[in-house]
Amino acid sequence: MISWWKGAALALVAAAGLAAPRAALATDIELFFPVPVDGALARNMSGLIKEFNDSHPDIKATPVFTGSYDDTLLKTRAAIKAGKPPAAVIMSANFLTDLSIEREIAPMDDLIAKEGKTSEAFMGQFFPALLPNAVIDRKVYGVPFHNSTPLLYINADHFREAGLDPDTPPRNWAELYDAARKLTKREGDRTTRWGLMMPSNYDYGGWILEALTMSNGGQYYNRDYGGEVYYDTPTMLGALTFWSDLVHKAKVHPAGEQKGPAVTGAFLAGQASMMIISTGSLTFIRDTAKFPFKVAFVPMNVRQAVPIGGASLVQPTGLSPEKRAAGWTLIQWLTSAEKSGWWSRATGYFAPNKAAYDLAEMKAFLEKNPDAKIAVDQLANAQPWFATYRTVPVRKAIEDELQAVLSGKRQPKEALTAAQKAADALMRPYVEDTALRLPGAE
Amino acid sequence: MSAPSSGPVTREVTPSIARFVVAGLALVWAVPFWWMLVAAFRPAGSGADASLLPSLTPTLANFAEAWASADFPLYFLNSLVICAGILAVQLVTASLAGYVFARLEFPGRGFLFGLFLVQLMLVPVVLLVPNLKTIAALGLYDTLPGVMAPYCATAFGTFLMRQSFREVPRELEDAAMIDGAGWWARIRLIYLPLTKPALVAFSIVSVTSHWNEFLWPLMVINSPDRRPLTLGLASFTLSAEGMQAWGLIAAGTFLVSLPLLAAFLIFQRRFVNSFLASGIK
Repeated sequence: MISWWKGAALALVAAAGLAAPRAALATDIELFFPVPVDGALARNMSGLIKEFNDSHPDIKATPVFTGSYDDTLLKTRAAIKAGKPPAAVIMSANFLTDLSIEREIAPMDDLIAKEGKTSEAFMGQFFPALLPNAVIDRKVYGVPFHNSTPLLYINADHFREAGLDPDTPPRNWAELYDAARKLTKREGDRTTRWGLMMPSNYDYGGWILEALTMSNGGQYYNRDYGGEVYYDTPTMLGALTFWSDLVHKAKVHPAGEQKGPAVTGAFLAGQASMMIISTGSLTFIRDTAKFPFKVAFVPMNVRQAVPIGGASLVQPTGLSPEKRAAGWTLIQWLTSAEKSGWWSRATGYFAPNKAAYDLAEMKAFLEKNPDAKIAVDQLANAQPWFATYRTVPVRKAIEDELQAVLSGKRQPKEALTAAQKAADALMRPYVEDTALRLPGAE
Repeated sequence: MSAPSSGPVTREVTPSIARFVVAGLALVWAVPFWWMLVAAFRPAGSGADASLLPSLTPTLANFAEAWASADFPLYFLNSLVICAGILAVQLVTASLAGYVFARLEFPGRGFLFGLFLVQLMLVPVVLLVPNLKTIAALGLYDTLPGVMAPYCATAFGTFLMRQSFREVPRELEDAAMIDGAGWWARIRLIYLPLTKPALVAFSIVSVTSHWNEFLWPLMVINSPDRRPLTLGLASFTLSAEGMQAWGLIAAGTFLVSLPLLAAFLIFQRRFVNSFLASGIK
């Protein structure tokens, strides 16, 4: 006679036996991902990974939600130091320089070579503007996953009401300034509608300021060397003064720090007639706006130029060969034309893989949504995103000053001098170790 | 205080001023809660995100969507396990350590206690990486005990229990000792019953802080089914470049804070008495 517990034990053994072959073969990997857009997309990501697992029985990938871009960097670094590196991370594209300087992420050229491709041919799939933030010192450190540029959004109803033509949105700063003045509405001392809003919270403010500086002919940072930023320069002074004038002189832009979601919220509620925010919000705006809106390139002063934004897939150093290979399979799958295009349509980010735009679904989508096409066309003007040694604190050095200027606590010139000084001090250790390390100095 | 001659007047005026000030403060505290409630029941896309006036067409859609976007019952359970686990261990370690620092004489006691208090001055972020290394070495990475481990010893709790134990008259302990009570019996039968308010006050502080904690669980937990509520909530409140759906966020926040709010409302009088008795505010 078999007692009940023996039966249970047998059943357990049988179950373990069934589960074992898969467990023995499948490589468990983790994908760290931030949530760049709203919650529905976190669910989409889980769905995407499930699809990957179903089609790759030898790999079991777990999507790990890791907070904001900055939190993702923090968690990835902590996991690496604790000896638990994830097999792949969706990392803000401008953190790659810093991570490669610290040797926390590994180049993927050998994995690409194993596929029988050259690194140039592999990276040739993506838009050229994305390469400077992914290929560092001629090594491939990241594969672009989803990318964005800043974009001008206008409320067409407000334009018509103010006697402006919504089909010719402002192309340069003079037209932008003029339109913002005409669109602003006041009741006595109170402003009931702002002509223009731009986000100035951490991460966003630096990016928008970079767009204005680049539109003003500037470089913002040394894209070939991680120890130099060009904060205290005429191009940046012009950009910051322009923003400050919109707030304090023309009074067409609210004072103080404006958070990204607040800007979008004001635009959607009709409390702001124009805004400059990421293309990554395009799908949300299209689905939510109850009025006709249009998008256009970021207005220029000297030249048409915008920085890219978004994230790339990277692999930390210190992974076992199996996990590294499995992570690489996931990275290739996620960045393929088909998946890239699907994610792009779901979010509004553009698909970094050029081939995504040759697929029939994408062509039909762009036909239906011409605004998405403008976002892609602006890529012709795209420049790399600010990236240095210790990107986050160096970025915050200018963002703190930007917020002080927008609140009227600082003048642009003194703000830039202070930001430059703070940034130089932060990058000093790297500079001393590289550019200022001279022969005969011992 | 005031001179005796103006006594009657101040006695009339001071309490009403105080009441006025307290009411004002209460209002300032209540506004965010009120806004959360109003926003949670407002239909999406009504465009009045900042308004404090309730919508005329309240909806439960935000709650339905928030509930669907994360596995709340499971996250609930995880948060509960973490908070209860931490508290259970802390009550033991804090009262034992508090007793040692309050009553036992040994060389270096003051120095050791000072060292213990230094822990209160450290910014938790500094400890993230060292703690994570320890957790990984102990094999607790990506587990609930891993989230709890760093909090097993508590400087704040030890400090609080030491102060409360010192106020217990020594004679009571001496009497128990004469009756043959061991140290364990003395703590259990004399010290703990007499310092209940401090224990309750400490428990509230401990549970609320760990219930609301975000960064440390974010570092330790990878598996989706081990997330506490804060991580689950964050997946739809944090957005780098997107737009935040305020109704959804408010509904989610309401769901997450509901258990603590409910507990506080039910045990309100007890809590307040404990805080008054233990002297923490």
